[in-house]
Amino acid sequence: MGSLLQVKNVTRAFGNLHALDGVTLNVDEKTVTILIGPNGSGKTTLINVITGFQKPDEGQIYYGSTEITGWSPQQIYGTGIARTFQIPSMFGKLTVLENLLVAEKNHPGESLAKSMFKRLWAKRETDAIEKATKIMELLGMSEQLSTPASLLSGGQMKLVEIGRALMSDANLYLLDEPVSGVNPTLAHEIFARIIRLREQFGITFFIIEHRLDIALKYVDYVNAMASGKLLAAGPPEQVINDPRVIEAYLGA
Amino acid sequence: MAVYLIINIGLNLQEGITGIPNFGILLAVAGGAYFTGGLSVRLALSLLGIRTGLSPILNNVSVLALINPILISQPLLAIAFMVLFIIVGGAAGAAMGLISSAPAVRLREDYLAITLLAFGEILNVIGVGYTPLIGGPPGVSVPDVLGWAGRYRFYAGTFVLLLVAIAIFAYSGYLIKTPLGRTLRAIRDNEIVARSLGKDITRYRTVAILIGSTLCGIAGSLWVMYSGAVTPTYARFDWTFLPWLMILLGGMGSNRGTLVGTFIFVTLDKLILYFKYDFSGILPFNIIWLNYLLLGCITILILIYRPEGLVRTWQRESQAVQAKK
Repeated sequence: MGSLLQVKNVTRAFGNLHALDGVTLNVDEKTVTILIGPNGSGKTTLINVITGFQKPDEGQIYYGSTEITGWSPQQIYGTGIARTFQIPSMFGKLTVLENLLVAEKNHPGESLAKSMFKRLWAKRETDAIEKATKIMELLGMSEQLSTPASLLSGGQMKLVEIGRALMSDANLYLLDEPVSGVNPTLAHEIFARIIRLREQFGITFFIIEHRLDIALKYVDYVNAMASGKLLAAGPPEQVINDPRVIEAYLGA
Repeated sequence: MAVYLIINIGLNLQEGITGIPNFGILLAVAGGAYFTGGLSVRLALSLLGIRTGLSPILNNVSVLALINPILISQPLLAIAFMVLFIIVGGAAGAAMGLISSAPAVRLREDYLAITLLAFGEILNVIGVGYTPLIGGPPGVSVPDVLGWAGRYRFYAGTFVLLLVAIAIFAYSGYLIKTPLGRTLRAIRDNEIVARSLGKDITRYRTVAILIGSTLCGIAGSLWVMYSGAVTPTYARFDWTFLPWLMILLGGMGSNRGTLVGTFIFVTLDKLILYFKYDFSGILPFNIIWLNYLLLGCITILILIYRPEGLVRTWQRESQAVQAKK
């Protein structure tokens, strides 16, 4: 089991605030790893830096053996890393199905010239619709395919976000708080489905999550951050019993 | 009305579908009009093989006297010219759209809007000041591509306008449902997520501006051929704010809404224009302003009570998807 994502000594500052201060961490292939840490400890910034939304000031990021430091979000999505957002972000006026279809990579029907001739992209569109329908079945949302996304509940939006990311056929998924604001039953269900997806497709998850009561029993590894630094990394029991983590995050 | 419909479809594709607040459509419309005006006479001269020492712009009337009889006697040739001029207008509109948006397309929405608004004004200044284009303030006449219709010229022109408008309406209805249209709508709804899904925002915005400006250019070109002449008086109000009003009225982002909005607006405008002199003396102000006042009130009422327009967009969109299944 090699590491799929390597973050080496990455620094990112906003003015005097060191959001990331020499972070080094690994995400192993086919694992579910979570990242915990108090608010403002740099977790989301880390995801933004990995996915190209922000550029690191220093340090390198490797995806497999490829260095992806400083790539654009488009390139990074193209190479096989998909992400979701902390605040559920839908294409509100599009239906759930359309939300997923937008994520289809290199769709020929998106080019101006080819879009004019339906037969050049109809086949691909049919395949994409089939894929999207399957993914939504897997996430238990077949009923809502033609609902405008803005009418969904918060939890359903979280699921659509995960589904949309899955459309990319990426290997690595960075989920920013996939169960925040979701009721406990559904939250457990989301994590159970993440595990099932990992098993089915051999994909890797790197997840920011605060709700340890739910997440811990599903995950392989835990990374803990505080003030832009990595405090501890390892199996769940080891990290949550680490005195530094308890002091910075969990409380006594 | 057909001209407005084409412009409005072009604008709706940019603002309603892609979320580009293009206040500079005037530039593309005027671009289509001026280039049709400036190039059509020259093109006609060289294609018909007429040699003359006269300037096609400054001796406009005498030059046209050489061209028009040929076009009147050969309707097919005239129609070919018309198609050519439409293409010229569309290309000019597209070029104007791209030129104006190239430095601006990376800006955030509100800055983009202001920049494009300013660009819209520039071309009028050029039209007035640079006489070789369309002869400055007096303007130029264009070869009469509809002259063969004789006294039915007005009907022929209307028919052509309607035909082109219908074709463009059908195309934009189709475009919205293609994957390209879907991606444009996705960018409108959430730019950041679209970027996270590997979409090159700048490229898609440019595509939308390209299509929209081409349509505006075609509209400008058609208007010039229909009216037979072009002068550098493309007013900001008529060609920037009225199209915005019309698509607001019908429902931003909806193709059918654009049609409804344009239809209602133009009909109302013409009705007020037609009847307003009956009110002179009754109303305590100069009735010249009546249509502006009424249309302004209507706009405010719509923004308060139906900000989503007369045709609710998301319903339309979701129905369209269900119908496809």
